[in-house]
Amino acid sequence: MSTIQPQTMAPTRDAVLDDLRGMLAMVLDQYGADVVELSEITEDTLFHDDLGLESIDLVAVGALLAERYGEHVNLAAHLAELDLDEVIGMRIGLLVDFVVARTGH
Amino acid sequence: MLEVNGVRTHYQLLPARDAGQGEPPVVVFVHGLGYDSLASFYLTLCPPVAAAGMTALAYDLRAHGRTDRPASGYRVGDFVDDLRELLDRLDLRRPVHLVGNSFGGTVAFSFAARHPERVAGIVSIEAEPATEAWAEKMGRTLGNVLDEIAKEEYLAWVTRTFGAHHARLARAAHALIAATSIVTDVPSGPLLSTADLDSITCPVLSILGDQGFQSDDPLAVERLLPDCRTEVIEGQNHSVLVERHRTVRAMVLEFVASLSQRAAA
Repeated sequence: MSTIQPQTMAPTRDAVLDDLRGMLAMVLDQYGADVVELSEITEDTLFHDDLGLESIDLVAVGALLAERYGEHVNLAAHLAELDLDEVIGMRIGLLVDFVVARTGH
Repeated sequence: MLEVNGVRTHYQLLPARDAGQGEPPVVVFVHGLGYDSLASFYLTLCPPVAAAGMTALAYDLRAHGRTDRPASGYRVGDFVDDLRELLDRLDLRRPVHLVGNSFGGTVAFSFAARHPERVAGIVSIEAEPATEAWAEKMGRTLGNVLDEIAKEEYLAWVTRTFGAHHARLARAAHALIAATSIVTDVPSGPLLSTADLDSITCPVLSILGDQGFQSDDPLAVERLLPDCRTEVIEGQNHSVLVERHRTVRAMVLEFVASLSQRAAA
């Protein structure tokens, strides 16, 4: 199902957000969800409440991130350090923060 | 994804990091019923367990998470068969440590009763074995869920009390109940006899919330089993795993490490 290409250079914040939009589209697509305009996904978009996704979808996004940026971008290990409220209230911007921090910007 | 007993099953296997000599211990995580999935473990306990030098395997039970949803086949015994088949397919034939949350713990106990040679230890989180008392409680709970969850006023109450996130989870659970025989299958076991319970000789750690599902008698599970110890977490309801995952993590790591040392000695 994946069309993710490995990324070798450190990406910019905008590039990461763009990548995430594509990954979220793949995850949303399997629900047949046609409700979200990709361009409307911003750093303030909430993973659960705005996109209607669940924690199992975070697992999928984690796999796509590792495919794109390498195994050291380990979302599950990062989330395991957070509290439940922080995971449920996850903003897309926090995912961008995480990727940027792990890829060396 | 693997085909397990005819059901396309989603699993995540995290290899042990920096495993020392010999084969690393294998820890298998079994999640709960309803709107639970492997994410409850994958995003909490699996990474630290793998980092501690153990292989971590989490999977979505049938009709949960990303695993397919057959219309029937939801007796405890079906879940036990799925676990055995998954371990066989992944060639994990040495004894494993089972960590089960809620109904996942019930599956772990029944698996250990059926296949004692394949279980090194069990961590049970807010869970109990499939006894008659369990079946009665489970039947009642599932019946109530069936009555309540379909009502719009219930969903409105969930939204007001717990937020939109939980209301969505409740809707998903209702879809699961409506599409399958899970409500009638689960409490039908097969139930464990006293002899079955006596055959669960592996060490068991039972972790409970003091306000959880076993608050009326926290030591009931310990009394049923040959080698069980109980840890009660204060100020905590049934959601022990996700709300207190750091505490649970420390207990699981300590439990598996102590058994592995005992096995090596």
